[in-house]
Amino acid sequence: MANQKKIVRVLLAQFPLETHTKGMITVAGLLRDAGMEVVLLGNARPEEIVTAAAQEDVDVIAISSYCGGELVLGGKLLELAQEEGIKDRAVFVLGGLFPPASAAKLAELGFGATFPPSSSGEEIVSGIKRAVAARKRSSS
Amino acid sequence: MSDQRTTREILEERMAPGEPVPLYNPAALEKIKGEFDRWLKSIVTEPDRKNWSVTPHSILGSELSRELIYSPLDNPEFDYLERLAFSGQEPYTRGIHPSMYRGRTFTIRQLSGAGSPEYINKRLKMLLEHGATGLNLALDVATVQMFDSDEPEALGQVGTVGVPIDCAGDMAVVFKDIPIDRISVSIVTHYPRNTAIVFPMYLVMAEGRGTPWEKLAGSVQNDFIMENLVRGACEYISPRDAFRIQCDNIEFIRKHVPRWNYVTLNGYNLREFGTSGITEMAVAVANGIEIIKEMTRRGHDVDSVAARLAFFWSLASDFFEEVARLRAVRRLWYRIMKYRFGAQSPRSMWMRCHVQTSGSSLTREEPMNNVIRAAYQALAAILGGCQSLHVDSYDEAYSVPSEEASVLALRTQQIIEAESQVTQVVDPLGGSFYIETLTDQIEEMILDELDEIERRGGIVEVVASGWLHRRIAGYIERQHKMVADGDIKVVGGNYFRAAEPKIPDIWVHQYDDSVGQRMRAKLTSLRRRRDQGQVTKCLDGLKTACQKGGNVMAACVDCARADVTEGEMRRAFVDALGRWSAPSYM
Repeated sequence: MANQKKIVRVLLAQFPLETHTKGMITVAGLLRDAGMEVVLLGNARPEEIVTAAAQEDVDVIAISSYCGGELVLGGKLLELAQEEGIKDRAVFVLGGLFPPASAAKLAELGFGATFPPSSSGEEIVSGIKRAVAARKRSSS
Repeated sequence: MSDQRTTREILEERMAPGEPVPLYNPAALEKIKGEFDRWLKSIVTEPDRKNWSVTPHSILGSELSRELIYSPLDNPEFDYLERLAFSGQEPYTRGIHPSMYRGRTFTIRQLSGAGSPEYINKRLKMLLEHGATGLNLALDVATVQMFDSDEPEALGQVGTVGVPIDCAGDMAVVFKDIPIDRISVSIVTHYPRNTAIVFPMYLVMAEGRGTPWEKLAGSVQNDFIMENLVRGACEYISPRDAFRIQCDNIEFIRKHVPRWNYVTLNGYNLREFGTSGITEMAVAVANGIEIIKEMTRRGHDVDSVAARLAFFWSLASDFFEEVARLRAVRRLWYRIMKYRFGAQSPRSMWMRCHVQTSGSSLTREEPMNNVIRAAYQALAAILGGCQSLHVDSYDEAYSVPSEEASVLALRTQQIIEAESQVTQVVDPLGGSFYIETLTDQIEEMILDELDEIERRGGIVEVVASGWLHRRIAGYIERQHKMVADGDIKVVGGNYFRAAEPKIPDIWVHQYDDSVGQRMRAKLTSLRRRRDQGQVTKCLDGLKTACQKGGNVMAACVDCARADVTEGEMRRAFVDALGRWSAPSYM
C-alpha cells in the first residue's frame, strides 16, 4: 500500500529534431499541478532518453511528438528500453500530433497510453495514472 | 552616435502633431453625448449597463475589453487624414497600395506538403495547375533543423512534414520544369542559419539552369526569434550569433538577389507557439527595428534595407480584433520607419505581410468545422489588407495536409476572392467606430510591449535572458486554463461537444521510410563522387567567416557549389561559434 502513495516521477522528452515545445511545456505544468515530479529533458535521442530514464529512476517516460516518425522513433525507444531493462519497469506514453492509425500501433509497440491533440489535462493526468497502476499490477 | 531612447520616446518627440482637423464638430458631439446619456439611462437595461465592458476570451486573443456599442464618442478627436487618409498614402492604415486587390489580388500561396523531392516537384506543379500564384516550399524537419537525412537524429523524420533537402542537387529535383524566373517562391527556412545553408542551394540550382540571380523572386524567413525561441532543438547557437547571421544573410541577398525578400519577420510561429496577437507583433517589430539599426551601423542606407523586409502574421478567430491588428501594425510600422529611421521611400514604410490562418485554433474533433474557422480567419486577413495568404487545411490536427484538404483551402481563398466581392472596395471596414477604436487601442498596446522590450535591453537581450521564454510559458498556461475552465469556448471541443466524438475517416500521410532510404543512398553516392579537398576548403572558409566576421552566406554559396551537405555546414557553424544553452521555460 505504501508503494501506491509514492509520488509518480515523469521524464518528459521529445525526439531530437522536434520543433514544437508548447505541448511539452503545457503537460509539464499539468503533471506538476497533479502532484507528479517532472524531469524536463527536452529534445533528445532515444538513447539519451533511455539513459536519463534509468538515471532518474522515473516511473513514466512521456514523449511529445508533432513532426511525425513516431512509429520509427517510438519503436527504437522501446527497443533500447528493453535492452536497458526499463521497458517493464516504467510506463511509456506519447502525446501530440499523429495519424489516428498510429495509436493502435504505438500500443502494440508497448506504449501504455497515447494522447492526441485536444486531449484535456484531466484525460492526460488520469490516463498516465491508469497506465502506472496497470504497470504495477502486471509487475507485482 | 547611437540613440538609446526607446521607439516610443523617439516617436513622441518627432511626431509633433500638425494642426488637428477633427472629423466631428463640437456641437454634433455634444448632441450625440446628450442622446447617448438619455439612451443609456432610459433604453438600455440595468444588466446591460453593468456589463457594458466585456473581455472576450479566445484562442491566442489579446483580452482587450469591448464596449456594448461604439460611436463617435469613443474617438471624439478623430482626425481622418492623420489616422487614415487614403490607401497607398501615409499613414497606410487603409492599405499599402491605392487600389489594393483591384490592382492586384492577394497571392494565393499554399504550403506544398511532405514527401520526397520528386513527389514535391509533382505537388508544386499540381498547385500551379490549380491556380496557385506563388509557391511555398515546406522543408522536412531534418532540413529545418539542419541535419542530413543520414544523421542518426534524422531517423524516422525524413520527408515527414516537408521536403528533405541535403544538397544543391535536391533543389534541382524539387524545381525541375518549374519556371523559377516567373513564379515567386517562398522557401520556408525559418532560421538565420538554415537560411544561410539552404538558400545558397536554391541559388546554385538557378546557376546550374542558367537563370541569373537577378531574375529570382521570392522570400526566405531568416528570423532569429524562430531559431532561438520558437523551436525546440537539441543544439543551439547564441541569439547574438543567430542575429548576426540574420543580418549577414540580408546583406548578401540584397546585394546579389535584388528581387528576393530577405527577411520575413515571423510573428506567426511565435503566436502559434503561445502569445497574444499583441506580443506577436511587438516582437516582430522589435526585431525589424534591431535589423535596421544593425544594417545602418554596417553602413547601409535605411531605404535599401527596408525595401524587402516583410512580415508574417497569424490570424485567429477574434474577427474584428484581427482586422484591426493588421491595420494597426501597418500604421505603426510606417511611423517607425518614417519618424524613427527617417526612411524616404514609401516602400520602406510599407508593412507588407503574408498571413496564415491559425493552426492552433483548429480542432481534432469534428474537423470539418475547421473549414469554417479558416474561412472566417481568411476573410479577416483580406479585410485587413494582407499581401498574400495561406489558408490552413481542415486536417491540420491529424497530419500534414492531404491533397484534397489542400485544394479545399485553395478554393476557400478563391471563393472569397472571386465570389464574395469583398475585394472590390479598399479597406471596407475603415471608418467603423468600432474598428477605428480597436485599431488605435491595438497600435498603443503593441507600442507598450515594444517599449517594455526596449527597456529590457532590446530584442536580442530579452531572448538571451529568457524573459521572452517565461512570458510565453505564462501565456500558454493561462490559455490552457481558460480552455479547461470553458472560458474560451471551442465548438465541438469544450462547447457543444458531441456525446461520442467520432474519429472521422481522414486520409492522412503515412510515413514512408523509402524516402529516407533513397535520401541516405543519394548522400552516400554524393560523398563518394565529390571533390573532398574542395569540401574541406569550403568548410574551413565557412568557419573562418564565422570567426573572423566575413559574410557567412557568401561562404555557404561556395559550400553549396562544392556539394557540401546541410549537416556538414551546420556542424561548421557550431564548431566555429560554440553552443548556447536555451533558458528554462519554468
